[in-house]
Amino acid sequence: MRILLVEDDAMLADGIRAGLKLANYAVDWVRDGDAARLALLDHAYQACVLDLGLPRRGGLSVLEELRGRGSQLPVLILTARDTSADKIAGLDAGADDYLTKPFDLPELQARLRALLRRAGGAAVPTLTHAGVVLDPASKRVTHNGQPVTLSAREYTLLHDLLRHKTHIRSRGQLEESLYAWGEETGSNTVEVYIHNLRRKLGADFIRTIRGLGYQLRDSA
Amino acid sequence: MPTNLPGRHLQSLRWRLLRTVGLAALLGLAVSTVLSYRQAQHEAEELMDGHLAQSARLLLALASDDPQQLADLATRLQTLDRVGSSPYDPPLEFQIGRSDGSVLLRSPHAPSASLSGKTGYTASEHDGGPWRLLTLASTTGGYRVQIGQSIKLRDRAALEVARQAVLPNALISPLLLLLIYFSVRRGLKPLDDLASDVASRSPENLEALPGHGVPREVQPLLSALNRLLLRLREALNKERRFTADAAHELRTPLAVIKVQAQVAQLSSDAADRQHALRQILAGSDRATRVVEQLLRLARLDPLAGLPEPSDVDLGELAQQVFSEVWPTVATHAIQLQSDASPLLVRGDAELLQIVVRNLLDNALRHTPPGSTITVCTRREHGDLLLAVADDGPGVPPADLPRLVERFYRGHETLAEGSGLGLAISQRIAELHDASLEFANLAGGGFEARLRWRESAPAAHDFHSARRPIE
Repeated sequence: MRILLVEDDAMLADGIRAGLKLANYAVDWVRDGDAARLALLDHAYQACVLDLGLPRRGGLSVLEELRGRGSQLPVLILTARDTSADKIAGLDAGADDYLTKPFDLPELQARLRALLRRAGGAAVPTLTHAGVVLDPASKRVTHNGQPVTLSAREYTLLHDLLRHKTHIRSRGQLEESLYAWGEETGSNTVEVYIHNLRRKLGADFIRTIRGLGYQLRDSA
Repeated sequence: MPTNLPGRHLQSLRWRLLRTVGLAALLGLAVSTVLSYRQAQHEAEELMDGHLAQSARLLLALASDDPQQLADLATRLQTLDRVGSSPYDPPLEFQIGRSDGSVLLRSPHAPSASLSGKTGYTASEHDGGPWRLLTLASTTGGYRVQIGQSIKLRDRAALEVARQAVLPNALISPLLLLLIYFSVRRGLKPLDDLASDVASRSPENLEALPGHGVPREVQPLLSALNRLLLRLREALNKERRFTADAAHELRTPLAVIKVQAQVAQLSSDAADRQHALRQILAGSDRATRVVEQLLRLARLDPLAGLPEPSDVDLGELAQQVFSEVWPTVATHAIQLQSDASPLLVRGDAELLQIVVRNLLDNALRHTPPGSTITVCTRREHGDLLLAVADDGPGVPPADLPRLVERFYRGHETLAEGSGLGLAISQRIAELHDASLEFANLAGGGFEARLRWRESAPAAHDFHSARRPIE
């Protein structure tokens, strides 16, 4: 799950990044509005945490441009501006949520979960497929009622596949979701994690579509 | 209603007006009453004297020697006596006689004064009181008539007449006082309205007071009040903006502390936790710095001038700050350029050091590592300058005039600071009658200067007295 963090204060960005990593997100961080614009054009993010008072280009302008392109990306505004007028302007400009600084880290994590859940078209907090249940809030996975222990990367990969049950996910897409900038590692790591997931959840849980990528097996 | 302060009536305009106008009216009324009373009394006396004379002349006309006629007259007077008694008609007593003094006829209570005395009005004592007597002599015969009235009764009548004359005055006085009261109230109503308008305001309402319907005499007071309200409004707005900015500025380090504390709490990795804890400390340092600078600004703001100015040599000051700062800076080259002759200003060395440190701090934060920063003191057309220059990228021209605004950070900048350093420096410059200038240098780089103008009136005397001969 890859998230863009737009925050001009380095110390605060460091904290938010650490906090989001704890929830198994891959976080890309940019410090100004122009860089945010470019990052949003170049990469497929699952969500964006956006500050408003940014150098070079304000957060609202970034948001309006994003929505102007027709992007559905879930955006959470995280700012020190706390007046009603600011919140209204932010939400009306296309933000999905609005949180003011100082904020509660668990609350930020929960709000992001809710945004991602709704962006996936679901209102139920857990993701279920063929006996496998993933709870994003507790980060717990069960298979036919039995708890399954997964590493952070395995969990992220499973989460991505469950969010796109009917889609075929390419290796590139899965990598984008797994790694933030500067974290890209060996070329066959996705295969390693898929192998581990098959070992823990059953060999036929994930199908390989040759030349295209991976897909969950039919739930029938 | 307002509380009753001791002596409130003494200060109340209404009470003063009521008292003076009321007293004047009452005094006028009283004087007029006394005069009318006296006049009425006098007129009543004259009227009664006339009455006396008329009666005397009538009796004189009726006087004769004929005993039968006299007896007849006596009988008739007797029966007519005391018909319709009234205070204006006190009983008459009389004697009719001859000029030799013999009495022909007298009323029962007539005073027994001699008829042969001189004619005209006389006073006499009779029946235990003073009487007024009128004696007339006939021109043809030897008859005389004396007619008398008790002064006590006359006075009673005269008093009654006077009393009736001044009675309306007495009745008018309360009406007059009431009229005065209402006129004063009506006259002062615009003031009352103004007072209640001011009194009913909430502390937030600092709008100008309405000027319509206010008398000319009150207009200057109203204008002064409105000017004061305007100044208060401005001061309050400035204060509110500052508080909002300060709160905003503290929020970021607090958010840092909070989020890193929660990371430390949630993380199971020891290295991550150590990092989060270090960031918490750094965040607290940052919050502390913001608070310190806010306090410094708050202390400098109300000062009208420097508390204890002394002679400060700018070169020495620059040297001092330079030697403190340069060992701590590894990323930049710092150099010092000082004018050979001492540059003396009147000021507070400690405050001026804060300015130099702030300017240095800014240069360090806004230039890339490896840049050179120069602290220099020099003389320029008689002006004294203390400047900090760098060879960095400079400041966008649009940002230059806004640099000293509180909490303003450049549009492009990513550097972290409280946004208060230059605002503090600006305030210190003001206190020193110096100006703080910023300029991008022609050859690239940026310079911040503290300038003491030669023509500055406060510094002029000092400079001309202290400047070494050039």
